[in-house]
Amino acid sequence: MKLKLKNNKNTIAISLIAGILSLLLICSMLIQFKTINKSKEQDIEGLRNDELKRQIASYKSRYEETRTQYEENQNKIREYSETIHDTDASTSLIDKEIEESNATLGLTDVEGEGVIITLKDTNEAIYTAEDLRTLVNELKYAGAEAISINENRIINLTDIVTITDSFIVINANARISSPYIVKAIGDKTYLSSTLNTKNSGFVDLMKINYLDISVEQSNNVQIKKYTKDIETKYMKEAE
Amino acid sequence: MMMTITMIIGCVLGAVIGLLVPAIPYSASKYLAIAIVAALDSVFGGIASNVKKNFDVSVFISGFFVNAILAMLLTYLGQRLNVDIYLAAIIVFIGRMFNNLGIIRRYLLEKAKRANK
Repeated sequence: MKLKLKNNKNTIAISLIAGILSLLLICSMLIQFKTINKSKEQDIEGLRNDELKRQIASYKSRYEETRTQYEENQNKIREYSETIHDTDASTSLIDKEIEESNATLGLTDVEGEGVIITLKDTNEAIYTAEDLRTLVNELKYAGAEAISINENRIINLTDIVTITDSFIVINANARISSPYIVKAIGDKTYLSSTLNTKNSGFVDLMKINYLDISVEQSNNVQIKKYTKDIETKYMKEAE
Repeated sequence: MMMTITMIIGCVLGAVIGLLVPAIPYSASKYLAIAIVAALDSVFGGIASNVKKNFDVSVFISGFFVNAILAMLLTYLGQRLNVDIYLAAIIVFIGRMFNNLGIIRRYLLEKAKRANK
């Protein structure tokens, strides 16, 4: 550089000034660079007003979106829980109905008060299927809710037929023979009194025919379920 | 010669101090930026005037500081008024910088031509 320098002192002064100025300039520039670099990583504090505004706006819209989504989800959850509740209620109702139907049909083990009747062949006479059918009918008439003969549950499709002198077939293929133990659940007093009716009752009728019969009341008669499948071939539900 | 040395020393010292000093808050960085632009304008102005052989130390120094401070004040005023006055300051400074650079360039070209002859 060509400076109009009169003397040495002037040169020194100008040189010093130039040095200080370049110091200031470089120093402030570096500080500025650092600040800008840092501000890129900085959060809200370092942002300018318009940037802040934009960010706030975007956050707001995002918030609104999320909020609507949240509400939708909440509604869905409410609906689902209501549906679940309803389904639970109906399911338990259906379950109960099925249980009741099964109990009535004879597809579940049942217990309760009732009577146990023991029938034994004697030397003079033997029990026939007809006798058992009569007994079952009598019991049903007396309000028996569940009946079994030698642990074979009597259901509405049960057949009781004589095949030989010594065997009676029940439920199509179960062969039974004396002694026959008939269990019935129902009002034990009513059941036994119906059977024990003087002269015309089942017990007396059997005894007249020299057959051995005993009726025993019990508070806890246990009757097993019907173990075979109930198959229907021909009948369909009428529409 | 001596001036070059002092300038280099100044640059090095400035770099060291600048690296050591912590960063200033972002809101203040706008003022510092405009001050830097003003200072750079003064430096180029100084060089150009030197080229034109009418360099004055007092003018140079006063321009260096006053321009920077004025630019900062204008920026502040703009912020209060919600008008981006600093843009105007930057346009003026940068425009002048290009002018000065043009003068320096032409001088250097002429110098190079003369050296070739």
